[in-house]
Amino acid sequence: MTKPIIEVKDLAKNFGKNQVLKDITEQVTPGQVIVVIGPSGSGKSTFLRCLNLLETPTSGEVDFAGENLTTLDTKRVNELREQMGMVFQSFNLFPNMTVLENIKLAPMKVKHMDDATATKRAHELLKQVNLDDHADAFPASLSGGQAQRVAIARSLAMDPKVMLFDEPTSALDPEMVGEVLSVMQQLAEQGMTMVVVTHEMGFAKSVADRVWFMADGYIQENSTPDDFFSNPQTERAQDFLSKILM
Amino acid sequence: MKKRLVLFFALLLALVTGFTALTTTANAATDNSLTKIEKKGTLVMGTSPDYPPYEFQATVHGKTKIVGMDVAVGQKIAKDMGVKLVVKSMSFDSLLVALQTGKVDMVISGMNPTPARRKNVDFTHTYYQGGYSIVINKSDKGIYKNKDSFVGKTIGAQTGSTMYNESKKQTSGTTVKGMTSVSDLILALQSHKIQGVAMEKPSAQAYVANNKELAAIPSDFNLSASDTSASVAFAKGSTALVNKANKSVDQIKKQNLVNKTYLPAAGKYLKTNTVNTSMFHYWKAFLTGVEYTLIITVCSVFFGFILGVLLSLARMDRGGVFKTALRWLATAYVEFIRGTPMMVQVMFVYFGLGLIVNLPALTSGIIAISLNSGAYVAEYIRGGINSVDNGQTEAARSLGMSSGATLRYVVLPQALKNIWPSLGNEFITLIKDSSIVSIIGVSELIFQSNIVRSDTYRGVAPIAVIMVLYFILTFTASRILNYFERRMQHD
Ligand SMILES: Nc1ncnc2c1ncn2[C@@H]1O[C@H](COP(=O)(O)OP(=O)(O)OP(=O)(O)O)[C@@H](O)[C@H]1O
Ligand SMILES: [Mg+2]
Repeated sequence: MTKPIIEVKDLAKNFGKNQVLKDITEQVTPGQVIVVIGPSGSGKSTFLRCLNLLETPTSGEVDFAGENLTTLDTKRVNELREQMGMVFQSFNLFPNMTVLENIKLAPMKVKHMDDATATKRAHELLKQVNLDDHADAFPASLSGGQAQRVAIARSLAMDPKVMLFDEPTSALDPEMVGEVLSVMQQLAEQGMTMVVVTHEMGFAKSVADRVWFMADGYIQENSTPDDFFSNPQTERAQDFLSKILM
Repeated sequence: MKKRLVLFFALLLALVTGFTALTTTANAATDNSLTKIEKKGTLVMGTSPDYPPYEFQATVHGKTKIVGMDVAVGQKIAKDMGVKLVVKSMSFDSLLVALQTGKVDMVISGMNPTPARRKNVDFTHTYYQGGYSIVINKSDKGIYKNKDSFVGKTIGAQTGSTMYNESKKQTSGTTVKGMTSVSDLILALQSHKIQGVAMEKPSAQAYVANNKELAAIPSDFNLSASDTSASVAFAKGSTALVNKANKSVDQIKKQNLVNKTYLPAAGKYLKTNTVNTSMFHYWKAFLTGVEYTLIITVCSVFFGFILGVLLSLARMDRGGVFKTALRWLATAYVEFIRGTPMMVQVMFVYFGLGLIVNLPALTSGIIAISLNSGAYVAEYIRGGINSVDNGQTEAARSLGMSSGATLRYVVLPQALKNIWPSLGNEFITLIKDSSIVSIIGVSELIFQSNIVRSDTYRGVAPIAVIMVLYFILTFTASRILNYFERRMQHD
């Protein structure tokens, strides 16, 4: 078996008295696409944000490429975050910069890439997400689907080893969901390691290698999409599926 | 860390030596006062140049300079010591404080050696024995005869002067109104706000000679010699210096230099001054005012902004004991500065900080206003940073940007855009509020206008000129700020 790129060991996270994550131990191997599903408020976002330390775990370990993030200094954490792109439900594009500038900012300021190289790379990425004609637009003029594709391109500009998606299509009008999912599917086909929190069951079925079902602070099930959707093991999952598939 | 420690000790040392130096000059070291001046090679004279013919500003070959009989006295003293005279102007009220805090070495400003003042400074023998007159409107000449004719009326005098105190003491039923500058008093007289202005005889003569609307009457104040004479003031305990200066003063008296040479010379300057009293003739003085107002404002905005950013960050940083202490300090600073008048802060920096390091007035002014502005800017910036959605920070951090880079490239530009109108207001306010530093003698617009007023004996015109100038400055500034605001609008 190949070495895991992300290893989570006994991860727990409390917000005050609220135990959101209780005890999670899982692994992601390179090239895998993991889809995390579960009821609202079950801690999916919190889990994802613990992976790149946007949230500091209360206890336990998050290893990335063999390094335990929770023990590293800020500088090293910053370096490892470059290798984990993150896409947010609300896009979080920088409104005061053009699409091109949004994509170029981190490569230039963090990797100290020169302007010409960064521009060239940004245009390539924009072509990949079918938005090269919007390079000079400001985020406010984009539709939700376009904005989210720019956000994906912006993350890819740092050449990450893993991409984390937190409900990337939940804020979109239904007719725009497809364009974002197809970009994500392409990315999966190119071999990108992905952890995706989503309610898009079609995407989970067709693209995921594993489905993690999260509820009550635990990963209740870790199985292939086929097994999960046709034969859920826990009552919690059966209940969840019956609600959303109806 | 090490560097910081070194700086800290250097500061401490400066503080300690500053205070020891102070106490020693006050007590024992009487005799190095003269040596110190001789070593320095300059003798700094403080004066309030709005009191012709004692001291006033005149335009000589296109340059403004302070002249008058007091300056001639100062020159004689400096020459006899073999050093160069440097004349520093400030408001009359500030003169003795400036002397005590070492901003100036001596004060010659038509100052009477009253017992109260003697407690704080040392005086030379008197170099001039004057008397008081009351200046009135010529049209009132029949009505008022002397100080006792003003029952139910108002007399004006320069605040902090002997005339002011005596007018209060020696009249009954008369209101005494104090103003800082004599030109303001004359203006008040001519606009019938007050009916007379008490001032020293030579000054009264100068005003009457230069303004046909005015007349002088005897004051008939009952005065001791110390109230009508003028002396040179030195810091308390500088006996050697006083003794040396006394030799010059005695010569001046013996040879009657004041009446024979100094007053006539001063009179000549007065004539050249009043030949052309059109405001255009004084464009250079106003230009200097605009220049200094801009220097003060721009520097203060710059440093105030940097200070504001640092303060706001300190206030928002959560963490260990060190950060908590820093946050507490920053909060206390902001509250304290916002809770005290800027004028007091300016005086505190100039005179108070002056005990430790001798800062020029302009630098003190810029420091004080920057310190003040920083506190206000800090609050704007804190609000601005809070107004930027947290998702922006998270997006930047998830791209691997450090917290510093996130702040600089992502959060601050957006925060700045949000608070630009408030910052713009602060800038405009500073253009206007920078006028406060006129009290410590920085030649910004207000200060310059006061000089032009006492130069030309015209009360209103210079005020009108600077009003227009201030408006041009603030209007231009707000146009420029609007331009940038528009350029920042993308969404
Ligand atoms: N910063 C925070 N401070 C306090 N409580 C938080 C914080 N973030 C999340 N929580 C709480 O943790 C719990 C899990 O939240 P989380 O956002 O991880 O759930 P989720 O599974 O992503 O839900 P959703 O499907 O609605 O996005 C919720 O009860 C939430 O209120
Ligand atoms: Mg969520």
